[in-house]
Order: sequence, then C-alpha cells, then structure tokens
Amino acid sequence: MSTSTVTSRIPRGLGVVGAVGAVFLLLPLFGIARRVAWSSLWEQLSSPQVTEALRLSLLASIAATVCALILGFPLAWLLARANFRGRSLLRALVTLPMVMPPVVGGIALLGVYGRTNGLLGSFLYETFDLQVTFSLTAVVIAETFVALPFLVLAIEGGLRSIDSRHEESAAVMGAGPWQRLSLVTLRLLRPSLIAGVAVAWARALGEFGATITFAGNIEGRTQTTPLAVYMLLESDPEAAYALSLVLVLVCVGVLFALRGQWLGRRS
Amino acid sequence: MWRRGVACVAMVSVVLSATASSSHASTTSLTGSITVSAASSLTDVFKELARDFRKANSRVRVTFNFGSSSALVSQVQAGAPADVFAAADTASVDKLATTGHVNRTRRIFAKNSLMIAVKPGNPLKILSLKDLMKARVVALCAKTVPCGLYAANALQRAAVVLSESSVSRGVDARATIGAVVNGDADAAVVYSSDVKAAGASVTSVVIPRIHNVTASYAMAPIGGSKNMKVAQAFIDYVMSSAGQSTLVRFGFLRP
Repeated sequence: MSTSTVTSRIPRGLGVVGAVGAVFLLLPLFGIARRVAWSSLWEQLSSPQVTEALRLSLLASIAATVCALILGFPLAWLLARANFRGRSLLRALVTLPMVMPPVVGGIALLGVYGRTNGLLGSFLYETFDLQVTFSLTAVVIAETFVALPFLVLAIEGGLRSIDSRHEESAAVMGAGPWQRLSLVTLRLLRPSLIAGVAVAWARALGEFGATITFAGNIEGRTQTTPLAVYMLLESDPEAAYALSLVLVLVCVGVLFALRGQWLGRRS
Repeated sequence: MWRRGVACVAMVSVVLSATASSSHASTTSLTGSITVSAASSLTDVFKELARDFRKANSRVRVTFNFGSSSALVSQVQAGAPADVFAAADTASVDKLATTGHVNRTRRIFAKNSLMIAVKPGNPLKILSLKDLMKARVVALCAKTVPCGLYAANALQRAAVVLSESSVSRGVDARATIGAVVNGDADAAVVYSSDVKAAGASVTSVVIPRIHNVTASYAMAPIGGSKNMKVAQAFIDYVMSSAGQSTLVRFGFLRP
C-alpha cells in the first residue's frame, strides 16, 4: 500500500483525542470488572432469579432472531432487488427502531398488541381471549422489533454486493429461481447473513426499554437478563455486576466471532 | 422573516416583563436552589407543594428527583446531589442517618394506605386481595422498595399467596400503577394516593383495615446541603397547615 506512508502520519492532537475516546469507551468495562466479586461469582450466577433470567433471555433472543430472519430476509430482498416507488422511504422507515428510544418502541407495540386499546390486541383478546402483553410472546415481539433492522441492513448490503452475473449464469445453466437462491445467492450471502444474525441476536439479548414497557417484569416469565440486572442493582448489586459481566462477555464473544464483518471486512 | 423576528422579540419581551413583575411579589429573602429526592408516589403532590412554596419564595428553585425510596437512598449514598430526602417510609431515612448522610431528626409528614387499582369498570370483579388470584397479571412494586414491602405485608395479613409468575414488578409506585393504566396488568396494589392520582383510568378497590398497612412518609434535610436554609424552609412548608391540606387533597392522610 503506497498511501499508507501518508495516511499513517497522524496529527498529534488528533491521536491524543482519539486515545481519550478509546479510553472513554473501554473504561466502563473495567468499571464492571472491578466491581465483580470474583470469589463468589459462581454463587451470584447460580441464584434462581439469575438462572431464570438467563434461560429466558437465551430462549427469547433466539426465538426473536429466528423471527427476524424469517421476516427480514424477504424484506431485505425487496429493498435490494425490487424496484418500486417509495423504496428509499421504506428503507429509512425500516431502520427507525434502530434509532428510536426503545421505550417508545414499547409504547408503540402496546398501541398495536395492547389488550384494551391495541389495534390487534383488543381483537385477539375479545375473540380468542388471548393476551399478548406480559407474556413471553411479548418479549419475543419486542426483541424482534428492535433486532429486525440490523438483520435487514446486513442482508440488504450483502445482496447488493453480490455480483449478479453468478446468478445469471446459474439461470443460463437451467437453475430455477429457488435453486438459484439456495445454490448461489445464499452461499455468496453467507458472511453478511452470519454477521446480521449475530448482531441482531446481541441486540435482542440486550433489549430493555421495549421489554419492560410492553412485556412487564415478571420473574421467570418476562424478566430477561437486562431487566434482572436493573432489579438486582437495588437488592443485590454484586449479582447485578456479575450478570452484567456475562452480558458484556457474550457481546465481546459475538464481536470476536465476527472479527469486524459487521463493519465491512478490511484487507 | 423580518416581521416574524419582530413578533418573536415582542413576545419574548412580554414574557420577560411578566416574569419580572411576578418576582416583585417575593415575600421572603430566601434564595438559591435545592434538589428534593422524593418517593415516586409523591410526584404530583410535591410538584404542587413546590409551586406553592415558590409563590411565597420566588427567588428559590426546587428541582425534583423522583424514584423509589430505596433507589434514592443508594443515589444519595453514591454522592448524588440532594438537599432534601422524602421517603415513603421511615426506614429509608434511618438508613441514611446510619451512614451519616442525614443528621437532623426526621419528620413524619404524611401517611398513606394501600388500595387495589383495577381496569376501569372492574371487568374481573376483583373485590378483595384474595380476588387478585383471579388476575392474569398483578402489578406489585419491586420487593425491595417500600410499596413492595407494604404490599407483601398486606397480602400476608390476608393470607393470600400470589404465584410469582403472575406478578409483574414495577421499579417504583408510579411504574407499578402505570402497568394497569397504560399496560395490560389486571390489577395493582399501590398507595391510595396513586389510585386517586390515576383518576378515571382505573377503578379503585378498598382493602379492609384488618389487612391494610399504613405507610409513614418521613423527610429530612441531607447533611452537607449547600442550601440548608432553603431545605429546612421547604420541609417546614410541607409540615405547615397549608402544606398538610395540599397533601390531604392529593389523597394522603395526616401524620
């Protein structure tokens, strides 16, 4: 790389501020590690409230990622390949849950699935006696809602970067649309698919605001790990730090597994 | 554009002169601002009390930090700025006294009782604590905050055991009744004053005296307050007959 000699000469002030920025981001991680009671860590993590929360989180986040994948793949396909009016508007709207406050997302979900005034919720309740809110279903819905955009963006980006000649030549060789999808497109798409799934899963795992608003805070039913951390902070801070450590480690694990794929690969 | 600018300036000056003239109504020489850390069940009544307090002391600013009493205790212990602490129990204030954050005698300024809040019209016909077992979701305060402790106490007195899988825990009293007002919880056990504040968005169900619990609200200035004078004046105002009648108007009981 011939440009590296020029670009690697960083103005000194910029380097210092950049380093401060890095410390600012990393210091809180040490803040957690410092407060963890390492000797009793296992005890903290094996209390019933904690194990229940971890179990629920795992279950709900995996279910949410699967839902997001089922809904997100076709949506990403539409955004990447179909030509229709309002496509860029739709793309902007799809990313809305990424930027909007999760608690607002929770309220919005109540407006749709709420038992008393919800758009669909009141119908479900009156006809089938079905209550969505304050249930595991509500947790999955909330987590899907916030995780879906991450998946859509990753897959859409992947689809755009695929050279369409591969698919065209498969068509020439007589592959039908579904065969082309499974034999060519999905294979080429694998890296972005994995990256999207991993980031969406991590986002679902960390969901707090929409969950507590829309699914409540029921131990063993809707109290996921982030909610448990929040509640434990008052009753048992040591356990709250232990559980936070678990969440941080999981996220570090996800990032490590991806090695920068989410941000685009570097040579 | 120009015209709009002129209109804007005119409006601002009208507002400024209005506030300037109102500050002439000042009756005391108290100045400065205080932060009051108060139990979430005090949200409405303390805002009203502060408004009235400022009518008499216009050069004073009162800022609030509402939350569960136990969360506020941790905040003060962690060094959060506060000049007055008002809790939904006496134990929280005592806790701050043992850690040296409060060194004046606490004063009990109000009492409160518990009530059941249900969906408007009471569709599940919940008439007692025992009927809470009919509800799919009951909102209670977290086990560590005063309203959660009081509710546990009342349920125990009534010999009612709710399955934990039907109990959604609110972080404080306001969040708890919010689960019925905004969410789909069938019932909540909260303070009578919270039920009153929620108005028509809930229906109230009385808990009989033999099962009910009386909450004593205590307040004290925080030691090391830079504005002890104003802090004490605010407490005195809450204890005054005007302050007390405001509390009663908001559904609290006299101490």
